This record gives sequence, C-alpha cells and structure tokens, in this order.
Amino acid sequence: MADTSSILPARRASAIPVPRARKDAIVLRVLTLAFTVFIIAYIAIPVLVTLAMSFNDASAIRFPIKVWSLKWYGDFFGSPQWVDALESSIIIALGTTAISTISGVLAAWAFERFTFAFKPLVYLLIMLPLFIPGVVLGLGVAMAFGNVSLLGFNVYGSRALVMLAHSLWAMPLVFMLMEATFRTVDHRIVEASYDLGGKPLRTFFEIVLPSVSTGIISSALFAFVVSLNEFVMALFLTTRDTQTLPVLMWLSLRSAGTPRLAVASVILAAAVFVSLSLIMVWYIRQLRKT
Amino acid sequence: MSAVPSEMARRRAGLRARLTPWLLMAPALLIAVAFFGLPIAFMARMSFNEHIDQRFYVPGFTFESYAAMLTDQTFRGALLTTMRLAFVSSIVTVVVGYAFAMLVWLKPKRWRLAFIALALCPLLISEISIIFGWWMFFPKNGLLSYALVSSGLITDKVSLMYTEFAAFVGLTYVTLPFCFFILLSIFDGIDKKVLEASADLGAGPLRTFREVLLPLTKGGIAAAFAQSFIWAVGTYATPSALGPDTLWTIGYLIQEQMLGKHNWPRAAAFSIVLTIGVALVMVIVRTLTSKRTALNG
Repeated sequence: MADTSSILPARRASAIPVPRARKDAIVLRVLTLAFTVFIIAYIAIPVLVTLAMSFNDASAIRFPIKVWSLKWYGDFFGSPQWVDALESSIIIALGTTAISTISGVLAAWAFERFTFAFKPLVYLLIMLPLFIPGVVLGLGVAMAFGNVSLLGFNVYGSRALVMLAHSLWAMPLVFMLMEATFRTVDHRIVEASYDLGGKPLRTFFEIVLPSVSTGIISSALFAFVVSLNEFVMALFLTTRDTQTLPVLMWLSLRSAGTPRLAVASVILAAAVFVSLSLIMVWYIRQLRKT
Repeated sequence: MSAVPSEMARRRAGLRARLTPWLLMAPALLIAVAFFGLPIAFMARMSFNEHIDQRFYVPGFTFESYAAMLTDQTFRGALLTTMRLAFVSSIVTVVVGYAFAMLVWLKPKRWRLAFIALALCPLLISEISIIFGWWMFFPKNGLLSYALVSSGLITDKVSLMYTEFAAFVGLTYVTLPFCFFILLSIFDGIDKKVLEASADLGAGPLRTFREVLLPLTKGGIAAAFAQSFIWAVGTYATPSALGPDTLWTIGYLIQEQMLGKHNWPRAAAFSIVLTIGVALVMVIVRTLTSKRTALNG
C-alpha cells in the first residue's frame, strides 16, 4: 500500500514530462534568444551611435544623419586645445603605466617571495585605493597638494601629480594581477638559479621577469587604459594647460554637445584598441616562439 | 676564517633578507601613503574646519559640516538619492550580469570569446564616452525617438533624456562588466554535469535554477552586488549628466562644494562619509562571504 502510493505519483510525473519538457525547451530558447539580442543591443548602442555621429556633417546632434563627412575629424585635429588635451592624456597615461607597473610588480614579488611583519595590513593599504571613489581621491590629493611647490616647481596642476593620482587605481590593479601571475612561477627554477650562484637581483631580472612577461604586459595595458579614460580625478587636478581629453569632453558636454565630442570619443577608444591590438600581436608572436 | 666575521656576515645576510621585501615595496608604499593615506588624513582634519565668509576654510574644530548632512534638506536628500540609485542600479546590474554570465557559461565554447569581447567594451570605453553615447540616444532628436517614430510605433517624438530611467541605463552600463566577470568566474567553477543530474532527477529548468544554481552562486552574487554598489555610490558623472537636474548624489555635491561653492570643509566631510560607507559595504560583504572572492582576495 505504502509502495504504490509512492510509485504512482512518480509514474504520473514521468508520463507528463515529454510535452512539458518540450514546451520548457522552446520557452527557454526564445528567452535565451531575446536576452542575447537585448545584451548585444544594450552594449552596442552607445558605441554605434557615437561612431555614426562622428561622421556627421551637420553641427547639431540630431537624427537622422543626412550628410556624412569627415568634417569634425578635421575640426578636432585643427583645434590646438583638443590636440593638446589628447597629447596630455597620452603623456599622463604613459607616466601612470610606468609608475604603477614598476611599483606594482616589485610589491607583488615581495608578497610572493618573502614573509614579513604586517603583511595583511600592507596588503590592505595597497589595495584599498582601488575601491575608493575617484571623486574622493581627486579631492583628497587636490586638498593635500593644492599649495605645495617643490624647488619652485608647482606640484598642483602638474602632469606628474595626475600620474601619481591615477596610479592609486592602476597600481593595485597591476599588483593584484601580478600577485596571481607570480604564483604560477615554478619555484624550483628560482631555487635552481640561486643554487647556481645567481644573485637575487640577477635571478629576478633574468629568470623571473621573462617568465611572467605576458602578465606584466597585460597589467601595464590595464594601467594605461585606466589612466587614459579617467576624468574625475583629473578634473580636480588639472589646469587649463594640463587638461586631459576626457576632462575637456566632460566640460564641453556641460556647456553644449557637438559632433566634435563624438570624434573625441572615437579617438579615445581608438587609442585603447590600438594598444590592445599591439599587445595581441606581441602575444601571438610570443606564443609562436615557444 | 674566524668565527666573528662569519657571524657578522650571517647577521648582515639576515638583515638584508629582512630589508629586501620592504625595499621592493617601497615605491608602492610611498604612493599609497603619500597620495592616499596622507590626503585621507588631511581631509579628515579638513572636515572639522570652519567655513566663514567665502574663504576656502578657516582652521577650527566644529561638527557643523557633518551636522549639515542630517539637518539640511538638500544634503539629506542627496544621501538618500545616492543610496537609492546605487541600490536599484546594483540589483538591475546583478540580474542582467547574472543572466549574461549564465548565457556565456551555457553557450558552446566558440561563442565565448565574442561574448567576452562584448563585455569588455564598457570596461575599455571611458565613462565620458558612455555618457555621451546615451546622451545622443535618449533626447527628442536622438536615435531612440527617431527609430520609434520612423518605425511607426509612435507618432510624436519622445525624450527619455534627463529621467531617472536614463540615469539607471547609464549606471548599469558602467557597472555591468564588473558584475559579469565576477559571476562568470563563479560559473566557470561549477561542473555543468550538475544540470544534467538535476534534469535526470526530474527537475524543470526553473527548479534546477532555484535549487541548484542559485545556492552555488550565492557568494558570487554578493560579491558582484557589493562591487557594483561601491562603484555606483561613487560615480556621479553618469547620473548627473543623464538624470534629472534634481538627481543630486553625494559625489555631485562633493564636486559642487569644492569647485563651485569653495566650501572645503563640507566637501571633505562628504568624502569622509562616502569613504566610510564604501568601507562598511566591504566589511559587510567580507563577513557574509567567507569564501575567496575578487573583493577579499
């Protein structure tokens, strides 16, 4: 009696599933397709709108676009203010990359290789700025270094200060990525180098660094992209002479939007994607070598 | 060799071994202390200064800036607005990011790279470019209105610009990749055979989701939510550029007080509150999820 009651519902359940499972599968497939379309459209919309608008001939932002031209590209490269801002952005991004890659890689190696006091505390100190809003970091640095001048050199408004502020986000990123990368290094190779009389410094530069070059290059790229795109810290820390491209874009969006902004967006994104593809090429060549 | 020099050499070697990590970390620590620790301390002190007669600040010790956050209608409103915006946009981001990560996880491998490239887009594009992209999509003469009118769905031009909806669309766009990558790494750690096992045992897709997938990804959801919340709380450009004029967030007020009103103590006080809020969210998530996530390393 007890057996049949437990078997019966099971049988009934196994009789129904065939049509229900098929219906489920259809619903699931339709939902998947709908979501796929949604997510592609969602991510693509601002990109495509910007790309289209940058080739607009009119001076107002208005759809449909009637005449296409390269007019606004000419306008962008003809304007000293915008070209200077682009130059400033690239200089600052390169500086940030150098500062944060060197300091991040060295710190990550220290964490991987050595034990020392206050390790968790130091970890927190290095990682914490990554989670602090840009507006807070920008404001703090601006307040603390607002009136500081070193040997007659005005620190505030200098590109160096923006590089260092951007490193607050870029350095923890490099550190995090490199800590994970160093963990994959085979310790026996390092020990072998020591056994053969290799000094720690020489071992680091000749054995360890080459084996993590991909990690270093990728984290340097991240640092570059973070700095190139950042504009809230830069807004607090730059003057008219050192303004970066995103800062100039933000300020002109507040007054009036023109297709020139679309051109600036495209150029900024192009800088990112060019550096990304350069690294892809390097990476593929590296793979072929081995 | 006598015993003394070797003893000294050993001691020197020991000292060097102890000093090496600190030397290696010196540049990183210098940056963190000088450009993060020092400014935060400076701001904490600044937040107690007084603001008199349009001067940036006057040294003093007052809780006036903090009190203003509770008494002043504008500031209290901004505090609540920021919380609400960050909370709602984080929930939306986690839902969309979850579905996206699950889609990539379930789809055949050959789609994977294309989807990951797609998810990287918002991460590689500057926030200002994202803002401007949506800025051209939502208004009356924007693409959305044009597409709807020319397809015959509506007859009059519409504008969704300067609405909270537009602000949410922009905020979610900015935070989506973080959620996606956190959740994808969690999904990648799950053996897909659990789905087959669940189906073999007679569970429908909904039940499999609720009783198998959801419990397995709980930690990831919490981490993704926290990451997105922290980001959304601090982002002020997107909501202030796309949302209505009344949509004042703490970040916007900090900028306004610093650059517009030149009230340094108040800007500092807001920043300290924002920092404490972010730290609290991190601590809460860390205690809730004992597992290793992107947040607590």
